[in-house]
Amino acid sequence: MAPHDPTPVSDASTPGGVRPWSALAAVAAGGLVGSAARAGLGLLIRGPDGGFPTAILVANLAGSFLLGLYLARRERAVSGPNAMRFWAIGLLGSFTTFSTFSVDLLGLLQAGRPLASAGYLAASLVGGLGLALAGQRIGAVIR
Amino acid sequence: MSLLTVSLAGAFGAVCRYLLSGWAQERSRLGVPVGTITVNLIGALVLGLVAGSGSPESSLTLALAGFCGGFTTFSTWMVETIGLGLSSPRAVLNLGITLLGGLAAALAGYTLVS
Repeated sequence: MAPHDPTPVSDASTPGGVRPWSALAAVAAGGLVGSAARAGLGLLIRGPDGGFPTAILVANLAGSFLLGLYLARRERAVSGPNAMRFWAIGLLGSFTTFSTFSVDLLGLLQAGRPLASAGYLAASLVGGLGLALAGQRIGAVIR
Repeated sequence: MSLLTVSLAGAFGAVCRYLLSGWAQERSRLGVPVGTITVNLIGALVLGLVAGSGSPESSLTLALAGFCGGFTTFSTWMVETIGLGLSSPRAVLNLGITLLGGLAAALAGYTLVS
């Protein structure tokens, strides 16, 4: 990964704010698939009774890993800007979610469950950062 | 049917995220990912509103929740934090502002309607 690149998912190929329709379509298509995948995962994964947000945690961790992997690999394999818009911004950007994470965490706190709250927070952040890093390491070397 | 609603709303949310975060980031001189912070905090606020309204699962609540799911992103937050240099003050800021801002936004939305 490029060091000190705070916006690696940015759309640098079209500076100045003009977005061609193909760019929007790529993001929308990825967003459709990513959202459906997350919803499907939510149907498949039922957390333990008591409302621990297991499905969202899995989605956020898996998505963070895959995004790290994709961006690192993309540095070495040439693909067009719409590929990044589809996979990184659209699909993985939508497969993971911050809003649900926040509301889930708030819900656990409001329910007076400090351990579950701390566990969810720690697993999400430590897991998310760790897996994104691992994805980058792997993406830097795989074909 | 509900899967379709969530997916379409999520696609729309993704496009809105793409446009708004790009717009915000281009105008920012701060060394943190203002674009992602913006969409994540707005999305947390809106989903807080949805959660606090306590309305039964209608097409509207599904669509709003789906929109927020596509509009916000966890993975980009993670990758951008790493890009700032994991032990750097800016990375800590990006984590802290997003986390605390998101909780505050969700709480504000929740409280506003309940």
